[in-house]
Amino acid sequence: MARISGIDLPKEKRIEVALTYIYGIGPNLSKKVLGKANVNPDIRVKNLKDDELARIQNIINSDNLKVEGDLRREISMNIKRLIDIGTYRGSRHRKGLPVRGQRTKTNSRTRKGPKKTVGSGRKKEE
Amino acid sequence: MSRSLKKGPYLDQKLMKLVQKMNRANDKKVIKTYVRRCSVHPEMIGHTFAIHNGKKFIPVFITDNMVGHKLGEFSPTRTFKAHGAARTEKAVALK
Repeated sequence: MARISGIDLPKEKRIEVALTYIYGIGPNLSKKVLGKANVNPDIRVKNLKDDELARIQNIINSDNLKVEGDLRREISMNIKRLIDIGTYRGSRHRKGLPVRGQRTKTNSRTRKGPKKTVGSGRKKEE
Repeated sequence: MSRSLKKGPYLDQKLMKLVQKMNRANDKKVIKTYVRRCSVHPEMIGHTFAIHNGKKFIPVFITDNMVGHKLGEFSPTRTFKAHGAARTEKAVALK
């Protein structure tokens, strides 16, 4: 079983692609890691030898690449910092609205999630 | 796009002069200011700034992890209550 940084790599994919299944490794970094580890990027994961896997894991560890849990923690710490010191950006994170000045009259559904229809909210006066 | 590193952080000269003067005098008065565009410099740590938001001066105590942000980031300029008549100020006051 090919496990790197606590993630099972898909067996049928080329290692170049399979590495991008790790959070924090994209196509570009994947190529760099493989180049440094001296592993052919076209090999399928199931055909990888144990020492090749070990070399890849080694590069990830020794180059201090932040992946998976560490990276997620760092990101959430950064957001938490913005919220704690009371910045405008922090408040946007807290409200789940776009942080970088995009419009919110329409769009920004990625941040806001699926549409929720809100009525006028007017209560009948008695 | 971020600011060129060559220039260093943007600091309002007048404000910095005042902060340095107060640091020498060991003075910790609230500094009223309109310069929202000025970056937070390490020398400002421990001071309280009253930062204008267009209407009021919002008091902000500067701590060490605020360094590098702009003063204006700590003084929100917009008020958003909520949508709908049920939550307008009048309705909230009635409750």
